Amino acid sequence: MYFENVAALINMDGHGVYVWASVAVTLAVMLWLVIAPLISQRRLLKEVSRDIQRQQDRELAAQKVSNQEESH
Amino acid sequence: MNWLSNWSPSWQWFHRLGSPRWFYQTTGRWLPWLSLLALALLGTGLVWGLGFAPQDAKQGNSFRIIYIHVPAAFLAQSGYFIMAIAGAIGLIWKMKMSFMVMKAAAPIGAVLTFVALFTGAVWGKPTWGAYWVWDARITSMLILLFLYAGVMALQYAYHSVDAASKASAILALVGTVNIPIINKSVDWWYTLHQPATIKLTSAPSMHMDMFMPLLVMIIGFYLFYAVALILHTRNEILRRERKTSWVRELVNAKAGL
Repeated sequence: MYFENVAALINMDGHGVYVWASVAVTLAVMLWLVIAPLISQRRLLKEVSRDIQRQQDRELAAQKVSNQEESH
Repeated sequence: MNWLSNWSPSWQWFHRLGSPRWFYQTTGRWLPWLSLLALALLGTGLVWGLGFAPQDAKQGNSFRIIYIHVPAAFLAQSGYFIMAIAGAIGLIWKMKMSFMVMKAAAPIGAVLTFVALFTGAVWGKPTWGAYWVWDARITSMLILLFLYAGVMALQYAYHSVDAASKASAILALVGTVNIPIINKSVDWWYTLHQPATIKLTSAPSMHMDMFMPLLVMIIGFYLFYAVALILHTRNEILRRERKTSWVRELVNAKAGL
């Protein structure tokens, strides 16, 4: 390592605040860039799954009604 | 434009690329590898640049900000080209898939431009003594941020998706004028901002021990950009194609039905 110890790496001769603040903000927003679409994808897939379920329920109900009508 | 599609059989890939379903499935296979590679390169570059590269003779350790500032600024500009080209393809060939890529590219580019501006400001404090100066390079980067914001805003300014896409694409194309201005700003005007460290046409003006980690970071940022663009585009595909049978099949397959 270029620095003698971890304390020197963090301090960077007084420039550590600037360097580490830049790194922290950059990593945070980059992480958000990949996590945000993943969260939204999960939600979208759940919604589609609910749509499918709802349609199946409706079809089932319609079938029941027509069955009842036949038996009358 | 029919003559273009009848050009030769090799245009088949172009048509497949235009299929959201094909895009979704293919990129799904690439994603794990791309992400892994991006993570490995970014990790290596960051540790190398922050902990092992020598410090700059004039700027000391504050110079290490270069390892995120320059790659972010690179991608902010390359990303703009990608967005504008996607918009142009969408306009010329009426390819919806291309418009989806354009829409996905806007927030990613905006975030990377913000990163370039933020790290630049933080770097400016110990180097120039000020967080912000109205310097040609910095001002043109700020305009880039507004252009990205404009493309994003136009996506929601219309009821029709088609109209929104076309308007965004035109703004994106017009805005490309700004890219050479950003590039040349350090040469055309007297600026505080230092001239380019890396040029395609000549050897880098920095020591190899400093340059190698920067190169790793730039490649890492490109891969990260690809991952982010794919993720955002897939999301847009799902949003627009949620009623189609292939999305339903996909959901059913995932649920194990």
